[in-house]
Amino acid sequence: MKKTKTIFEDGKHKWIAIVRDPDKPNYLIDTNEYLVTHGNQGMLVDPGGAEIFPAVFSALSAEFDPSALSAIFASHQDPDICSSLALWLEFNPQMRCYVSWLWSSFIPHFGGSTETFVAMPDEGLDILLDGLHLQAIPAHYLHSSGNLHLYDKVAKVLFSGDVGAALLPPGEDGLFVDNFDKHIRHAEGFHRRWMGSNEAKRRWCERASQMEIDMLCPQHGAIYQGADVQRFINWFDGLQVGLCGS
Amino acid sequence: MTMTTALTTRPTKAQLAGVDLLRIVRINEEIKSVVGVSFKINIMALNAIFLAKRAGTAARGFGVLSNELRVFSQDLRDGMSALTRQIHGCVTEVSVVLQDIRHTALLRQAVELSPAACGRLVLAAREAENERHAERLVRLRKQLRAALDDAFRMVELGGVLAKSAKIEAAYGQSFAVPLSQVSGEFDGVVEEIRASLEALRRSAFFTGN
Repeated sequence: MKKTKTIFEDGKHKWIAIVRDPDKPNYLIDTNEYLVTHGNQGMLVDPGGAEIFPAVFSALSAEFDPSALSAIFASHQDPDICSSLALWLEFNPQMRCYVSWLWSSFIPHFGGSTETFVAMPDEGLDILLDGLHLQAIPAHYLHSSGNLHLYDKVAKVLFSGDVGAALLPPGEDGLFVDNFDKHIRHAEGFHRRWMGSNEAKRRWCERASQMEIDMLCPQHGAIYQGADVQRFINWFDGLQVGLCGS
Repeated sequence: MTMTTALTTRPTKAQLAGVDLLRIVRINEEIKSVVGVSFKINIMALNAIFLAKRAGTAARGFGVLSNELRVFSQDLRDGMSALTRQIHGCVTEVSVVLQDIRHTALLRQAVELSPAACGRLVLAAREAENERHAERLVRLRKQLRAALDDAFRMVELGGVLAKSAKIEAAYGQSFAVPLSQVSGEFDGVVEEIRASLEALRRSAFFTGN
């Protein structure tokens, strides 16, 4: 079963990370899911693949009533992002799924109906969660051609999808980055190969530098906090991406 | 040890549904070949009608039977088209059942893992929906079996027509040889279809063995 860790809390406004399942088969990439709650509603951010649904659901339900989930945010279209969609919709068929317009007719192959999907434009979207304003931030070509991140200005949390992701070896899989130089070695190959555009990377770094971010939360690996956030942005800015290792 | 395990291990629902899918796909392939053969009968019957006309009064009975065989081939094709539609319905439903099984297994696991068995109602609703799908599959299976029985009876009638045509061919005087050849081909083709349908009626998709 996955563990939950509340990474931000202010009354009923919470960010909960759902992470690290010791029982997960090794052939599945490890993913982080995030639950944002405000008032009586919850939004699940990159809910994960169908195969890990039981682990995510059980962990989430320990913290929050799954039937009160009002929305899913899918940063892009990959199966590890939202192939569990049909299963989540069993709990609340009225649930909305926010996704880039580019993928709004692809992701329904995982489940849902016309009413389920909110197609987000390239420039991003303001999303309201029971009075909380969240912002979908453009991150196209990082890595998907239709890719958005989620920013919570109040919590100062940026969910950064695959940006900041690291493939951590056993024993170095803490929830937070505690040694940036050591950690970033596990992120370098991933970013060089998966991030397709230096121009897109540059734009993202410029945008992220202007945002107040206490925690940068990727979908794989550990969370950057405090000074490590800007450290990561600077590192990413200097990295040549779109390169194949061979 | 291996044998004991093999004898005592019961297949899972997903495995059974997977086997069902394979069986219905095979039935569909067989039906496709029967449809092809029934089209051949139509052409053969048309040729037989022309041959009977050339043979004149000596092949009048053969001509009547050729017309009947042509009607039979059209009825057979209609019957096969209806069977194909039913098979597609069965394939869809078996696929839905397969998807149900996978979803339900994940939901059940989620509910069992979650504190206070959260989500039991959703699981129960899913299981009720699965029951409806399973019942629909049972109905479709029965309808398909009944349609196969109807087709089989029709083909038996076709066999009688073909055999009667063989007898009539003997009275065809100078045309007796070509008429016998044509009626023999009819009989062979109808027998081929009959054997196919007989095999389909014994398919484990219906018997469950």
